[in-house]
Amino acid sequence: MTRAMALHRLRISHAFALLVASFTVLFVAVAVLLWHDQQQAHVATDRLQQQTLPEIVRNRQVVRNLEKIRQEGDRFFALGSPQESQQALFVLRVVANHPSIREHAQAAALAQEVEHFLAQAHLHAQQNPHGLKPSLLAWHALSQRLSLLVDDVSVHGVKLASTDLERMSQSMQTARTALVVALVLVGAFLLLLTLMLRRFLIIPLQRIDRKLATLRVDQPAPAYPITRLEEIHSIEEATQRLHRSLQELEQARHQLETLAHFDAMTGLYNRHPFLERASIELQRAHRYAHPICVGMADLDHFKAVNDNHGHASGDVALRHFAGLMRDTLRQTDLVCRYGGEEFAFVCPESSLDEARAMAERLCQCFAAQAIELPDGTRLQATVSIGIASMAGHTLDQALSLADEALYQAKRTGRNRVVLAPA
Amino acid sequence: MNMNRCARFLRKTIGLLLWVPIWVHAESATLRMAVLDDAPPMSYRDSQGRQTGFSHAIAEAVCEEMRVRCQFQVTTLSQVVDGLVNNRFDVAAMSLLGTPERRSKILFAEPYFRSFSLWFAQPGVPPGHGDVRVAVVDGSAQARYALQRQWRVVPVATNGQLGTVLKSGEAHAALMPMNTAMGLMADPDFQRLKLEPVVMHSPELGGDASFGINPRRSDLKTGVDEALARIKGNGRYDRINSQFLPFRVN
Repeated sequence: MTRAMALHRLRISHAFALLVASFTVLFVAVAVLLWHDQQQAHVATDRLQQQTLPEIVRNRQVVRNLEKIRQEGDRFFALGSPQESQQALFVLRVVANHPSIREHAQAAALAQEVEHFLAQAHLHAQQNPHGLKPSLLAWHALSQRLSLLVDDVSVHGVKLASTDLERMSQSMQTARTALVVALVLVGAFLLLLTLMLRRFLIIPLQRIDRKLATLRVDQPAPAYPITRLEEIHSIEEATQRLHRSLQELEQARHQLETLAHFDAMTGLYNRHPFLERASIELQRAHRYAHPICVGMADLDHFKAVNDNHGHASGDVALRHFAGLMRDTLRQTDLVCRYGGEEFAFVCPESSLDEARAMAERLCQCFAAQAIELPDGTRLQATVSIGIASMAGHTLDQALSLADEALYQAKRTGRNRVVLAPA
Repeated sequence: MNMNRCARFLRKTIGLLLWVPIWVHAESATLRMAVLDDAPPMSYRDSQGRQTGFSHAIAEAVCEEMRVRCQFQVTTLSQVVDGLVNNRFDVAAMSLLGTPERRSKILFAEPYFRSFSLWFAQPGVPPGHGDVRVAVVDGSAQARYALQRQWRVVPVATNGQLGTVLKSGEAHAALMPMNTAMGLMADPDFQRLKLEPVVMHSPELGGDASFGINPRRSDLKTGVDEALARIKGNGRYDRINSQFLPFRVN
């Protein structure tokens, strides 16, 4: 299953790469097509400027000079002076032999024909009494041919320009189509990319963000649906690892707190947290004028137990007494190992008599129960307890009073409860 | 008081010095244009004595396009090449065919029209025939052509003098460019000579005609060429063509 999912994720990564590669290839192809069309348009423009327009200008000059030939021919046949006819014939000859006419094959041929015709007409007119009249009809035909050639040359220039413009138009049309295709491709790619990014990247990231925002130690580890992108899957796994780490940290913190607040051997409060809680209870009692008492307990002859039975036996005795305190005192009472074999306890909502009663019950129970030591022997131990009321005293004062009462109990024979003077 | 005089003197001196660069610039921007004044219709003087003609008008248009002031200096065809070589002129505003001798000495602008030559003689007298004395303009491509063929030439200084020597009988024939021939044929006295024109198709006597450029001022060629291209493109050339010549000569 995991292998199949990994392969699936691999395919998604490849799909992104394939999409980008396909788009790149298509876009390059369209760009090349665009460049080619632009090149074609550039070639057509260049041809229009370098060849067609000069050709049109040349044609215009040919047209103008053909018109001049026709005008001079008309002037030749007009009823002017012989000098005027001679002048017209000369100008016609000059125009007909100019390079602008000679370069154009059709114009050159017709101009030479006209020149020859007029020279012959001039010769015949000098010998014929009717003058130029016999040649007039033929001249009209030649004049019409000149006009037709003028039209042909004019139209040829227009055709050249039209052809080039048509090519340019085709190139531009193709380029426009290619541009539209390119834009559609870019649009499609962006749309597809956006959809894929949204589906495979943005939505999973938003889901991860929501999971991270509500990530708590006391909640189950974040769960995700099947993810198709490897990187997203890694982030999801990282959030799950983060949750596990948080749980481990919380557990460690809890252990450290337990070590800091409770005595490892007896499981009772250590001195410092005990004093903090006792102070809070004392303030509350003072605020509401409720009774509250404090007691100090010390195992009798504990050094002898250690010396005679070993420290392990002493520890057993301490644990035994601690368990007895937990069983005998109320759940609302505070109990701590004050140091060594000395214990302290606070009894909220208890008068001095009530506290003494609980202390004496504790004292009697401890004395009545034999403690089984590791070496198999049974130990009979006792405890001395001093009780003091905390009303009207600070915590330190009350503890001192209880401690004083404890020593009083020790001095007066041990295994007893002594009340501090009120 | 002496201080005031000194201050006025200094102000005037500084004022004059400020004008010096402008004067120097104006001098440097003046082109010395060599022109003919007896070659109708290309370059001649009108009835008021003003210089005019096709080549002259083209030269003026070129100067305007180049945004330079032109100083027109009259010369003859036989002196113009040496004038360019010896730095007396910057541009020769006349139709020069590119003969090898000229190309070895001076620069040529892009052609501004195309020409050919005509032989004028009595009917039946072919070019270079026998003892015929041929009038040519001294220093012209036509003179070079005739001398190379050892024709008997009657050199004249200007195109306008070709008709004079023909009418006086000093010369029997003439070899001249087409535009000069057009000008002469408009003269009734010349027509009465009943000389017959023959078109000369030799490449040495026709083709592209260009302005000449001082070989030391090669920087001018680009400016002149661009100015010619502009007046051909903006229609000014055609207007000048129509003003002075009966047909399109480009």
